[in-house]
Amino acid sequence: MSTDAPTPAPTPSDPGGGPQIGADEWVRRSGERTGGSKGVVGFLNRVADRTPHILLLLAFLGFACAIPFLTSNGYVIGVATDTMLYVLLAMGLNVAVGWAGMLDLGYVIFYGFAAYLFAELSSAHYGIHWATWQSVPFVIACTILLGFVLSLPSLRLSGDYFAIVMLFFLEIFNNFTANGYTWNWFGLGSPHDITGGPTGITNIDPWRFFGHALDPNNAQNYLWVASAGVFVIAILLAYVNKARTGRAWRALREDPLAANLMGMPVKWLGLLAIAVGAGVAGFAGTVNASYYQGVFPDAFTLQLLITIYAMVILGGAGSLGGVIFGAVAVNVMLEVLTTPNHARWVFYAAVLLGLVAKVRPWKVLAAVLGGLVAFGLIAHQVVEAVWARGVGGPIAMGPTSYTTHGFFATLIRQWMVLPKGTYENADYRIGNYAFVIVIAMVLTCTVLKGWKRYVLLVPTIWGAAFVWETDLVNQGPTTRYLLLGLLLIGLMATRPNGIFGQQRVEIV
Amino acid sequence: MSGILAFQLYDWHFFFQQVIAGVTVGSLYGLIALGYTMVYGVLKLLNFAHGDVYMIGAYIGLFVLTALGSPLNPILPLLPMILLAFAASMAGCSILGVVIERFAYRPLRNAPRIAPLISALGVSFFLQQTAVLLFGANPRTYDTFDLEKNEAGVGVLFHTKTVGNFSIQYIELVVILSTVVLMAALSLFVWRTRTGKAMRAVSVDREAASMMGIDVDRVISITFLIGSALAAAAGVMTGLIYQQLNPYMGFGTGLKAFTAAVIGGIGNIGGAVLGGLLIGLIETFTVAYLSSTFSDLILFSLLVIFMLFRPTGIRGTPVLQKV
Amino acid sequence: MSESQAARTPLLELRELSVSFGGLRVIDELDIQVAEHEIVSVIGPNGAGKTTLFNLITGVYRPDGGDILLDGQSLVGLAPHKITERGVARTFQTLRLFLNMTVKENVMAAQYVRTKATLIEQMLQLPRARREEREMNAFAEEKLGFFGERLMGYRWNQPAYSLSYANRRRLEIARATATRPRILLLDEPAAGMNPVETHEITELIGKLREEAGFTILLIEHDMHVVEGISDRVVALDHGVKIAEGTFEQVATDPRVVEAYLGASATVTK
Repeated sequence: MSTDAPTPAPTPSDPGGGPQIGADEWVRRSGERTGGSKGVVGFLNRVADRTPHILLLLAFLGFACAIPFLTSNGYVIGVATDTMLYVLLAMGLNVAVGWAGMLDLGYVIFYGFAAYLFAELSSAHYGIHWATWQSVPFVIACTILLGFVLSLPSLRLSGDYFAIVMLFFLEIFNNFTANGYTWNWFGLGSPHDITGGPTGITNIDPWRFFGHALDPNNAQNYLWVASAGVFVIAILLAYVNKARTGRAWRALREDPLAANLMGMPVKWLGLLAIAVGAGVAGFAGTVNASYYQGVFPDAFTLQLLITIYAMVILGGAGSLGGVIFGAVAVNVMLEVLTTPNHARWVFYAAVLLGLVAKVRPWKVLAAVLGGLVAFGLIAHQVVEAVWARGVGGPIAMGPTSYTTHGFFATLIRQWMVLPKGTYENADYRIGNYAFVIVIAMVLTCTVLKGWKRYVLLVPTIWGAAFVWETDLVNQGPTTRYLLLGLLLIGLMATRPNGIFGQQRVEIV
Repeated sequence: MSGILAFQLYDWHFFFQQVIAGVTVGSLYGLIALGYTMVYGVLKLLNFAHGDVYMIGAYIGLFVLTALGSPLNPILPLLPMILLAFAASMAGCSILGVVIERFAYRPLRNAPRIAPLISALGVSFFLQQTAVLLFGANPRTYDTFDLEKNEAGVGVLFHTKTVGNFSIQYIELVVILSTVVLMAALSLFVWRTRTGKAMRAVSVDREAASMMGIDVDRVISITFLIGSALAAAAGVMTGLIYQQLNPYMGFGTGLKAFTAAVIGGIGNIGGAVLGGLLIGLIETFTVAYLSSTFSDLILFSLLVIFMLFRPTGIRGTPVLQKV
Repeated sequence: MSESQAARTPLLELRELSVSFGGLRVIDELDIQVAEHEIVSVIGPNGAGKTTLFNLITGVYRPDGGDILLDGQSLVGLAPHKITERGVARTFQTLRLFLNMTVKENVMAAQYVRTKATLIEQMLQLPRARREEREMNAFAEEKLGFFGERLMGYRWNQPAYSLSYANRRRLEIARATATRPRILLLDEPAAGMNPVETHEITELIGKLREEAGFTILLIEHDMHVVEGISDRVVALDHGVKIAEGTFEQVATDPRVVEAYLGASATVTK
């Protein structure tokens, strides 16, 4: 957003079904009731509009903090704690990206820097053990300072180039943390171990309040700490958003030149937005370091950055509530996809929901579903007749467990072609080839129209289920990021403002 | 350590080796940078996924070579096998590039600027994980060193030709020459053909170009096709020289290549290759003489400084904007 | 305009102002003075450099030569938001509202420069922040009220994109006045308006001077507006001042006629 090279007269894009410029007030009022308010999302939006937001926040946090009392499953509590950390990160990124409209591609640097600094100050690494009330505020202050420093290039560079420079900083950070155990000032000094290298820094002090240490093995402690942080930070940020700086940020996002000419110091506001986001990430970093009890270089990479962006964009950049939702939705989805048995149901549920939502009228829907079932059964019989080893394999339940028993297992095994040996020998080659073919089929489906599309849809969905069962379902970490990537692409094409984001008029 | 530095400065043979190595890797950066610069020229889009297309190209080459029995039991002689790897890789990635543009970027032509960037990140993720899915997360290798070994156990591609202090490996020669040829071909295409002219028109003013009867969609598809093919070629060559592939190698290399495009002046073809050579040389010399573990840190720090002082690049012209 | 007014230091003064873009001299040795509470119109054919003039005054472009003085102090080299702080506000030829923000927020955002509450005060809702917020709210309503009932009541919380074209133009003027300027630069405020709206805008500009005391520098093509409201008119062509005086004097100046109609046109009055 360069303000020293004013752009030519901006022309509003034609938003199509979205908000219209100059649309008469009556039209807009009726638009309020129907536009962007369809279905479940619309209902939730209306509920959210009518309830004081503080109540919504308390309800959410109350539920989250109650989880350790609702279940004693350590895994679930751990996921909840992770989710809370992501909520913090999403809120922080929202300041720069959602409110000020800046592309902050170095955000994970702040997260990682804070975690590492906390680790250096409160662990066995250097033997220093700062008290929690000293190290946490100090680390946050340093991270905010780093935020100002790293955002300085935005004073000279426009949006895209500034984004590139942030990526450079990210590479520098990753290089340093991964190799920082033999730092010798390029031959001028003796080797120092600053960052612990690939193995990172471990044995980090837990947080201590009034002499009482928070046991990191009991995730609920950090769940409550993180929730308290979310509460405080959400309130602070919400207040800023309604005050003059928040308005100035939003004006900056709308039109940096006009904002500058209306008296708002846009360059400083840009620095401020990134620094505030860095502060939030800084707090999250301190929690991260002591909860995980270790900091490692490959935890703060581009992959994490894209994940946080996915959360912010999915929820609706610019909406605090939206990004909180996005963080929860994305992280829960990623976790669910890690266990094959859960992942399977997510897949089938998603396919079913997608079909029900998109395929109208119901006769066509019934035809597609019927065709799907028939296709599977027929394919099963055909393959069984032709290639004996082609069917009869078990379905995956867990990373190394699979079964042939159970009601659903039998159903699926009859409908699906599951080659024997897929899991015992970890031989996914058929799944791999099928993967490429199914991708091609999916893309073809999107370009076909009318009945041809529905006809191709049947084998495509079956093929996707085939790939899912024989390959993807068992490779959690890969599958989940694969789907996250697809989610981002699909999201940008259909709802670039996210699920709860407001439909905006954009000047192109 | 500084003692070693002083010693190496006097070793001319080593010095020239580094020059050649730098030019070689720089050529690869240049090839990838061409794709970035052309796409940014026509679409003003930072195509984050381009580096991963390069990575996929390398893997397609690997697939072909291993299918043909390389390195220990090749069923074809060396040259046809390598050419086949190139052909398959470039063809596959051309299609991939066109498909990516069609499905991930074209719907977003009129969306806010951040949308195609996010979509590109999504594509990047998708390609990386696809590579992990299809080829495994562990590094794979071309094993070209073992191809047609001589008695000393050195593959034929790595035989060196020495003239005095100056020595070069065959594979390095191949890379540098191919880059020169490809760059010349691309320049000819852009400056002497109608489609090339159409590409230039679209990058100056897309709307006006479409009103002049140019099929903008087709031109953009061709841009992606060419850029991806070049990246694929770079990928196969990477495999041939450096042998090791991993699914995450696209990002770092892509970032350096994009910077090469920026350094050379975005939209400028010669500049992209020039930028690539510059970065390749700086990187190689940093590794050789300063520090190999922190070479990335040094390189990117230098790039930050460069961007701050000359964001329009060496051969770019400061853009004149009229209100 | 009385002689005593002319003798005072002008509020805005451009001295030998010049700027070139890529070898093309867009503004050439321009001298303009605007006294306080005056309404001066700048006219000229397209490409004469009028909007460039506004861009120079507001700091978007830096002049190659000459000076821009507000109340005797130079504005050259200052960042645009600093110039606004000194008391210069403008509207845009092609409307640059904060479309996705509400009507009231547009006007409140422009008050940033006149308020002081720091980030911490805002986050913690300390007294100064709350007080300023109330004041900004009231001030915004007052500024919007200047336009009658059109931008009042339920309109405050509507997104700016939902306003009609004429209302958006009015909102942009309201937003500019919210920066508490000494001088308002209005860039074609009547563009695209029908005769009724044009008449209203003309009256509005008069009202801005009479009731609110603003000094106004106006770019306009619609001669009805120029004739109806200007104390003085300055005519530009190719970045050079070719005439200055009352509307009658400028409208009949042969060089002005030639600039608009071409050299072979004869003047009939």
